[in-house]
Amino acid sequence: MSLLKYESQQREPLVGGNKNYHQVTEDIISPIEMKPSKLWYIGFYISVGLLLFGAYSVYREVTYGIGQWNVNKTIGWGWDITNFVWWVGIGHAGTLISAILLLFRQGWRTGVNRAAEAMTIFAVMCAGQFPIWHMGRVWMAFFVLPYPNSRGPLWVNFNSPLLWDVFAISTYFTVSLLFWYSGLLPDLATVRDRAKTKLRKLLYGVASFGWTGSTKHWQRHESLSLVLAGLSTPLVLSVHTIVSFDFATSIVPGWHTTIFPPYFVAGAIFSGFAMVQTLLIVVRKVMGLEDYITLGHIEAMNKVIVLTGSIVGCAYLTELFIAWYGQNPYEWYAFSQNRANLFSPYGWSYWLMMFCNVVSPQLFWSRKLRRNITVTFFMSIVVNIGMWYERFVIIVTSIYRDFLPSSWSTYYSPSIWEIGFYLGTFGLFFTCFFLFAKYFPVIAVAEIKSILKTTGETYKAKMTEVEKKDADKFYIEEVEHAH
Amino acid sequence: MSNKKYWQSFGELNQTDAYKQSAENEFNEDLLPIEELSNEGLLDGKTPRRDFLKYLGFSTAAAAIAASCEMPVRKAVPYLQRPDNIIPGVPNYYASTYVNGGDSISVVVKQRDGRPIKIEGNELSALTKGGTSAQAQASVLDLYDTTRLRHPLQKDGNDFKEVTTFEAFDKMVSAAMAGIGSKPVVLLTSTIHSPSTLEIINNFLAKYPGSKHLQYDAISYSGMLMANEACYGKKAIPSYHFENAKTIVSLGADFLGTWLSPVEFSKQYSTNRKITGENPTLSRHFHFESMLSLTGSNADDRYTHKPSETGNIALAILAKLGGAVSAPVIADLAVKAGIEKAATELMKTKGSSLVVCGSNDVNVQVVVNAINEMIGANGTTINWGATSNIRKGNDADFVKLVSEINSVGALLVYDCNPVYSYADGKKLGEAIAKVPVSISFNGTMDETTEQCKYVAPSHHWLESWGDAEPKSGYYSFIQPLINPLFKTRAFQTSLMKWSAADTADYETFVKKYWTSKLGSAENWEKALQDGVVETPATVSTATYSAFTLTAAASKISSAKGSDIEVVLYQKVSMGNGSQANNPWLQELPDPISKVTWDNYAMMSPALAKALIGIDIMNNQRQADSYEVTPEKAMVKVVVNGKNIELPVLILPGLNEATIAVALGYGRASADEKNSLDRVGKSAAGAGKNAYPLVAFDGTSFIYTLNASVEKSTNIYSLAQTQVHGSSESRPVIYETNLPSFIKNPEALLEEPRSERINLLAEGKTDFVTEGTLYPNYEKPGIKWGMSIDLNTCTGCSACVVACTAENNVSVVGKIQVQKAHEMHWLRIDRYFTGDVKNPDVVFQPMLCQHCDNAPCENVCPVAATNHSSEGLNQMTYNRCIGTRYCANNCPFKVRRFNWLDFTGADSFANNQEPLRDKELNEVVFQMNDDLTRMVLNPDVTVRSRGVIEKCSFCVQRLQESKLEAKKQQDPSLVRNVKTACMQSCPTNAISFGNVNDKESEVSKARADKNRNFYVLEQLHVLPNVSYLAKVRNTDRHVGVVEEEKKEAEAHG
Repeated sequence: MSLLKYESQQREPLVGGNKNYHQVTEDIISPIEMKPSKLWYIGFYISVGLLLFGAYSVYREVTYGIGQWNVNKTIGWGWDITNFVWWVGIGHAGTLISAILLLFRQGWRTGVNRAAEAMTIFAVMCAGQFPIWHMGRVWMAFFVLPYPNSRGPLWVNFNSPLLWDVFAISTYFTVSLLFWYSGLLPDLATVRDRAKTKLRKLLYGVASFGWTGSTKHWQRHESLSLVLAGLSTPLVLSVHTIVSFDFATSIVPGWHTTIFPPYFVAGAIFSGFAMVQTLLIVVRKVMGLEDYITLGHIEAMNKVIVLTGSIVGCAYLTELFIAWYGQNPYEWYAFSQNRANLFSPYGWSYWLMMFCNVVSPQLFWSRKLRRNITVTFFMSIVVNIGMWYERFVIIVTSIYRDFLPSSWSTYYSPSIWEIGFYLGTFGLFFTCFFLFAKYFPVIAVAEIKSILKTTGETYKAKMTEVEKKDADKFYIEEVEHAH
Repeated sequence: MSNKKYWQSFGELNQTDAYKQSAENEFNEDLLPIEELSNEGLLDGKTPRRDFLKYLGFSTAAAAIAASCEMPVRKAVPYLQRPDNIIPGVPNYYASTYVNGGDSISVVVKQRDGRPIKIEGNELSALTKGGTSAQAQASVLDLYDTTRLRHPLQKDGNDFKEVTTFEAFDKMVSAAMAGIGSKPVVLLTSTIHSPSTLEIINNFLAKYPGSKHLQYDAISYSGMLMANEACYGKKAIPSYHFENAKTIVSLGADFLGTWLSPVEFSKQYSTNRKITGENPTLSRHFHFESMLSLTGSNADDRYTHKPSETGNIALAILAKLGGAVSAPVIADLAVKAGIEKAATELMKTKGSSLVVCGSNDVNVQVVVNAINEMIGANGTTINWGATSNIRKGNDADFVKLVSEINSVGALLVYDCNPVYSYADGKKLGEAIAKVPVSISFNGTMDETTEQCKYVAPSHHWLESWGDAEPKSGYYSFIQPLINPLFKTRAFQTSLMKWSAADTADYETFVKKYWTSKLGSAENWEKALQDGVVETPATVSTATYSAFTLTAAASKISSAKGSDIEVVLYQKVSMGNGSQANNPWLQELPDPISKVTWDNYAMMSPALAKALIGIDIMNNQRQADSYEVTPEKAMVKVVVNGKNIELPVLILPGLNEATIAVALGYGRASADEKNSLDRVGKSAAGAGKNAYPLVAFDGTSFIYTLNASVEKSTNIYSLAQTQVHGSSESRPVIYETNLPSFIKNPEALLEEPRSERINLLAEGKTDFVTEGTLYPNYEKPGIKWGMSIDLNTCTGCSACVVACTAENNVSVVGKIQVQKAHEMHWLRIDRYFTGDVKNPDVVFQPMLCQHCDNAPCENVCPVAATNHSSEGLNQMTYNRCIGTRYCANNCPFKVRRFNWLDFTGADSFANNQEPLRDKELNEVVFQMNDDLTRMVLNPDVTVRSRGVIEKCSFCVQRLQESKLEAKKQQDPSLVRNVKTACMQSCPTNAISFGNVNDKESEVSKARADKNRNFYVLEQLHVLPNVSYLAKVRNTDRHVGVVEEEKKEAEAHG
């Protein structure tokens, strides 16, 4: 077995600190059993505060109307849908890491997948808030569900990309949640087994679904993981593709672009990884998990960032080129005037996006910078700002001056309640994340253990010894002896 | 290795069959145990798939039903005994007459269940021929104005107290009148042309010797009256016949917008602006003005000059025509050339030429009369046989009254508001307060009324009996549409009671008066039914005397201008300000500036650059930032030591030395804190009062003034509904000039034609059916369509108000308009083309285009907007969840979203109150008052918050016409249907009907293939609204397309 999973010695160990199984369990599970730190409380209360402010903002909007926001007759979507797409994008990295990297057998994913998946779920929850609460009559939101009803029956409009969104996002959320939770089961059982109070035992007992660790359980678990990974893989690509259809299938110049599906997916992975970086750099520091989330992990993710950032950059240039080459006067106006013209009212946002998403990630061609925590943290924020602006640029700068010049809009800037809603989703996200970090193992213990013997630091050291041996002798010792 | 064996169970030890089987099967189970894959267990499983779905469906449905809130039920009580002429749900129509301070328009009023709800033009009137104005359309809302006085009042300290009955009031008044001794009684009214009222006034005056009746016009035409007296011996205004004029020269007269009788003139003017036949002819319209007016925007050739130069231009034209005056020096070469061209054309069409002038300067009008004599207008385009009665005020008399007001014993004020509209109104108000007896008959507590001691509020015209004679021989009748809502009394009745000649009321008087005049009761009934009795006079001349001309000419020559001059004008919406508390008018965007709720200092880009340093012509960045920010810099305009601080609105097309300021704004009570209750929630705080700037030159009020400007650091937000003026060369409007249209009519729409061909695959010819990948569907039966003639549309905006009234369109208030949350279903888009200093202006009514291939329809997730089999793009408000996706995807941006609870129809109670003043202006509360809501059209849903709405092509009217056609078994009857916008149009620019019917108006209009185009046609959304391109009668190159072609040619 060991030979099949042979890891090059050129690679650094994925788990540092000469850990054994027990230490892994201790390192990851014991924070759950301790009282949270002061920092945790401060962070948690700030998050809850933001969440409450967001809830009040939404309350105002639902009670008084969308007129609480500054969107208008020309700019029907502003911060609401910008934030929606941004959060959905962020919700891509988790599933990508767990599903696609699982299928590609990327061992390094084990250190980060749990937190990334949790982040995905929370991000999708945040994203979902926007299309729901941006409706003028949210209390009628159930109209988008295709179910037999007493209104005719009146059916939904299957032509509408917004309806596809409903399906795509709910499916994605469901599958991600299942995937995340099924991965959690063995670890929850570990927490249960170590529990000292009755309540803990009961709660983690229920939560772990009676996991005993039997071979049968493991076998089912692995199969389920594979099935869900298989299901998630196309979803990672489809969700943002469908979100991009909201724009691509419309006729608005600047939205109606066939490049959107791949461009959106790349952008989503780009921003998703940036968000994972932001979170994990904090988590590993605060929770002392440097041995599990190593510089190697961070570097690997930075490589993804520079790759997807460059894809996104190509996409920007391609659409700009096509807008010119296509000779559609409206589209070219949207690109050349609304966006690329720095001195037009929103020109700044386009160039800010260009700088954050295309220029700045190029720093990561340097290995030194890739492995620099401070630079990475700073960059992850820059990328997320850039990706927010990407959505803003696409949505607002396209429609504020579209076909009919008589309807061109005045300058749109958000109202306090629009900002409040956005901050509220940050509150939701971090509240969930803090709770998660407190009550769930932030690293997949079982999966770390599965790679400990192949890429742990102790193993690597042992393998170095082995590799020094003479090949014939090795063969006799390792292969023939086994028979 | 030891041979010891560890066993876990007896089964394992004994290797029983059961154990063996279980061991074998340990990892042998199906991973996805779906029971029904095998045949058995399909329905016997623990939770078969079907049951599961059933439970899921049931619980979701139950939750959904439980979540649907029950709406509160407001009960309507049916008639116990139904009145004969009222069938619930079926409207009645009565002819009446809109009157307001001399203005009068014959109308037909729609009454539903006893409530007047909509004004339509009366097609039997020879003057307006079914046309209306924005103000007439909006006046139905004035009836339900909450600030209307509800009973007679008596001054009590600074406030008023109710007088319980009119009998008590009459006693009080007669006691007071007895106490004035020999001091004169003055009856101050607006221009009155009601024959019966004039008779009552004469009776009243006879009772009080030494008393007099003074007519006062807020916007004076005194100069013209005096000039006509000097030239023709008649202190009157003649009839104008624009329909007979082949050449029209206007010197600042906004005759399509605000000058004298704009509806009548628009009707006449438009007859010569229609393109018909092989070799079309158009009247030629030259316009000289300082500001950019509605009429100027419609002119073929337009020239701007300083306001003080109007007289010189008139003189120059007269000199050019050969008049006995010396030609003044005209420095501006363009204007000079324009004068020559205009004079040549006037002479060429002698006998069918007309010059009108908006100046109130006697001398200028004398010169204009001389011009009209030279070109043979007297007796052809100017008719002295039937004089206009709508303006009779004499400024000098009024100023004299003001100076002598301390000697007046009793002042009776009716239908005028001089404390507001007189330049020195404040002083006048204080003086009125000191007059021994002062009585106001005005319907609201306006600036003048609040200075009076007694108030006997008169009816609104919709509650009144009456008559009008806007032009000699043309009578129009007023009959009440509703019982008086409040304890009010006709002004005439009050006068009758007080003159004691007749103790009956005005209704009896009017009936008697007309029955005897018309010969019989039947004739009177008939007259009431028709609304008009007209005895058209033949067009005749008046004898001209030129003896004042020389003096006038020398006075004009000696007049001096200044570097910056101000012109005070009226907006088509606000007029003289008498309807300032009408939210529909306040929120109606000015067709030129597109600003609502305010007046402002309108100036050219060059002047703005000099005054506030914003250069929108050469600095794209400043232009952009000026455009996208509603906050505008302010300036102080100083005239004769009086100043007024206003925000700057930069607009191309104004003379570079001119600042234009609209009158009619800035209504306020003497004590500002009473303004909301007295002048009203809409009027209070809207704009600034510019009347104090008006000057008096010894004979008449002057509205063009020398001024200076002081800088101000203040900022003021303007609520503009359109901020971008250029069409950016997009296929939105097409226009050309007449000579090139005649030469090659097909060239006008060459661009869209070739565009259509370019978009088709080779070998294909039909853009509609073959310009798409999707299948084409037959559209049999009725397919509604509209055609709008841009050549006759003047931009007057009557249609916008008509649409608002018909379709219960919400008023949102200034704060929300500023956030671009206005709700108009129909708007007038305004585009500038050509020379930036003196651009051409095109108005384009824009409404839902009811696209056959509507981009809004397929993006709605819940199918709330869909297509009817009759080609209508329909909105189902009940189904709409408000994602606003449709609005984003609409290329015409005609969809409107209910951002807040504008109507009070929301299921969330009291959700407007916390937003009062901060986000919702008082006007929204005014509109949602129970009284004001009486104006709502019961046939149209009042939309609640959170849903999208838009033009429905007045579907309620379409349904009504279809029902009528079915009842009569005559499909051709649907040809009679008129949408609200179309009905109100004073120029018949809108045609509507079934496009599958070759005889329908719209089919006929669309037959003009050389001009018929669709906006943004290449998008292949297939609109059902088409436009007829504009053709200007000029030699200049017109329209952006040609400009570009010229440029392209120049560059080789």
